[in-house]
Amino acid sequence: MSAELFSVFYQFADVFAFLILSAAGLAIVFGMMGVINMAHGEFIMCGAYVTVGLVNLGVPLPIAQILAALTAGIIGMIVELLIVRRFYKRPLDSLLATWGLSLIVTQSMLLIVGSAVRGIGTPEGSFAIGGYTFSTYRLVLFGAAVAVLVGLYIIFMKTRFGVIARATMQNAAMAKALGARTGRIYSISFGIGTALAGLCGALYAPTMTLIPTMGATFVVESFVTVVIGGANVLLGTAPAAVFLAMIRMALNASYGQIIGQIGMLFAVILIIRVLPEGLSSVLVRRGR
Amino acid sequence: MLKLLEGPQTLGRGRIFWSCFLAVLAGALIYPLFADSYDVGNFAYFLIWIFMALGLCLMWGYGGMLSFGQTFFFGIAGYGYGVLAINMGGGTATIAALVLSVVVAMIAAGILGYFMIWGGISGIFFGIVTLSATLVLAFFLGQTAGPEWHIGPARLNGFNGMKGMDPLTVGSFDIEGSALYYLMIALIVIVYIALRMLVNSSIGNVIVATRENPQRAEMLGYDVRKYQLLTFVIGSGLAGLSGALYTSWGQFITPSSIGLPAAAMPIVWVAFSGRNDLTATLVGSFLLLFGFQTITVYSQQAALVLMGVLLLATVMLAPQGFVLGIGKLVVDWWSRRRRRDEGTALADTGRLQSDET
Amino acid sequence: MALVEVKGVSKRFGGLTAVSEVDLTVNAGEVHCLIGPNGAGKSTLFKLIVGLYPPTTGSIFFDSTDITAERPYARVQRGMSIKMQAPSVFKELPVRQNIQVALQERLSGAECAAEEERLLALLNLAEDSGKLAGALSHGQQQWLEIGMALALQPQLLLLDEPTAGMSPEETYKTGELIKSFNAQGMTVLVVEHDMAFVRQVAQRVTVLHLGKIFARGSLEAILEDEKVAEIYLGKTHAH
Repeated sequence: MSAELFSVFYQFADVFAFLILSAAGLAIVFGMMGVINMAHGEFIMCGAYVTVGLVNLGVPLPIAQILAALTAGIIGMIVELLIVRRFYKRPLDSLLATWGLSLIVTQSMLLIVGSAVRGIGTPEGSFAIGGYTFSTYRLVLFGAAVAVLVGLYIIFMKTRFGVIARATMQNAAMAKALGARTGRIYSISFGIGTALAGLCGALYAPTMTLIPTMGATFVVESFVTVVIGGANVLLGTAPAAVFLAMIRMALNASYGQIIGQIGMLFAVILIIRVLPEGLSSVLVRRGR
Repeated sequence: MLKLLEGPQTLGRGRIFWSCFLAVLAGALIYPLFADSYDVGNFAYFLIWIFMALGLCLMWGYGGMLSFGQTFFFGIAGYGYGVLAINMGGGTATIAALVLSVVVAMIAAGILGYFMIWGGISGIFFGIVTLSATLVLAFFLGQTAGPEWHIGPARLNGFNGMKGMDPLTVGSFDIEGSALYYLMIALIVIVYIALRMLVNSSIGNVIVATRENPQRAEMLGYDVRKYQLLTFVIGSGLAGLSGALYTSWGQFITPSSIGLPAAAMPIVWVAFSGRNDLTATLVGSFLLLFGFQTITVYSQQAALVLMGVLLLATVMLAPQGFVLGIGKLVVDWWSRRRRRDEGTALADTGRLQSDET
Repeated sequence: MALVEVKGVSKRFGGLTAVSEVDLTVNAGEVHCLIGPNGAGKSTLFKLIVGLYPPTTGSIFFDSTDITAERPYARVQRGMSIKMQAPSVFKELPVRQNIQVALQERLSGAECAAEEERLLALLNLAEDSGKLAGALSHGQQQWLEIGMALALQPQLLLLDEPTAGMSPEETYKTGELIKSFNAQGMTVLVVEHDMAFVRQVAQRVTVLHLGKIFARGSLEAILEDEKVAEIYLGKTHAH
């Protein structure tokens, strides 16, 4: 019995981790600046490629993954400085600009690197409970997703940066008037967002084939999680991921991945009809 | 009725504009007499995509709804045409397959649009929900390689795509080559004129008013959701028309014409051209398609990189679109020259520059 | 005869009660002014009447029909029309087209064109009819929006601070315009701060204070009410 229960938890954890890791970066950028970063998938791809590159050079996997996330974060801050910064007052234009960027990056990568790069293989290690065998790395991913949520909680609720960032999110003009350097806050937030995208790519790099278009695998999940979660990462994205993971898990188990994804999309479309402002609006309202 | 051809919503009016229009149309009509059949077929191929661009122009430029789902409806009608043409057995039935597949795309647009518009989704979220639906459709079709995925005798065939449907046929006459080309020209003229009349009509008034300020439009007694849904269904239906014609043209369709990067293409055409004007979109999209096709021969990736650069450049340098910007410059220059001819003084060089930005 | 009846309506935003247990009757054919200090809940009450907010409790009747659950456009089709507090015109559309959108449901063809010209002249906007509405001055945008509200020929015209940003002469002209429409049978409900304007147009006055009805009556009675003067009029008597 407990083996079955653990198996259900394991499947849930797997989908939940995928949703949180792919959406967290997108949600932070959206929550802070109201910008949807259409190049989100390319930052994920960047994280994956850097990880694999470093591992092939002999760097241990965990260190490669951290370096990959940092790389994506730094590139993100450069992109923010050069492009995204101009469009904070025109959110739709920022969507188009980052989409243009996404096209440029994916297709250039295809031109330069070619279609497939040799992967590094999922870290071995599995354990058995009851008659079932489970991959340890999948649990590591779940741990990483939880760690990301805890980390974000600490950054945004317990640090000085977090206080100023939340103030900026509430009312940018007022925060600026009170002396917050909103430009720098935005730059750092964008960097955190893309670093999390990079981390997502880094963590999943060992589990999948590396192709320049791999970002597309993650964007649907990240989009729908943010659509359902609304603008608040902690109060929105996490519950949205729990909710979507349950739907997905149930459908995956009986009908397979693709029906799971279709079912998730249908659920999202039904929910936006009922809760146009996303789950976080309900939670925030309750909280008052 | 004819009065609706011109109005505040569309650039281009008067004898000069319509003379140019007729001259271009005449050129297009005699083109097959001079070109070889391969080029005519290629030309017809560019024209296929124009409907999709005009549909997006209507939704985005006039209705203020940025749909990233043009290839979703393109795919539904494209596959729809294939399934119907194969199941109904070709011949004249292909005409019915064309019409029905576009209707199916419009019904799909009606359902998706209902949930989004009645759910109050707008702006950025409208884009990402439509894109999510598009990508999921592409993933789904990519997974249908197995023989169990079929509708009647029509195999979906996963990434390799569906094939084996007849092209558009009347009796025993296949509409291919120049015949298809003339059909495209006729359809484009009809759609272009019809859309001009729509946006300059009283319905068009409400559509643009809703774009500007939905609340104010509602306070004038309009159920703006119905107008938005209408706009979305027409715009997406035009994407469907492109899709059905595409399948008929090449007698095959794959999921790659739905997913990324295909989904970004209509956005690039319309943004670059100038989303606020049908004529600019028509001209600009054609130019881009022509350029894209020319470069694709050498490297598809390079062509796509260029599309990305153009999108980025448009947003950064000319958010209203390059073709529309140039069009406005020409109109401005023309009216200045006329005024100068009439002897009225004017020399505010500032205006030209301000139109540019 | 009551045209609008607001019965026991409250509106809460989270912890804030903007409007509390308000009863308000607007009779057909009158010019009714809603006054009160800032934050009294006047604009919220307006938005409840036109349906931009659903009330937390209570119900709203128009012409004896319960319209509490109706969407704004349906209420407008019943014969309401509103000019909002901040001018909200269609900024990227020409002035003439703004008027057209408001007129086209009621009139068409030559009639519509004639009414368009009449309204544009009435609003002093004939010369600027080709300009984009966003390029008009604040005062002109106010006029344009009043014009759009009038174009519907409503039974009930709701005006939220119609004279904000207008000069005294423009304010006076607006007052006369409202009176002329009232003389033709239009019922008008106005939120206004300018007491000179209220004196010019009001037949009945309701005073709102802290979300509640504070006083109501004829213009004269309200002007003489000392409690009202204390909370509100005291400050404005000065000018």
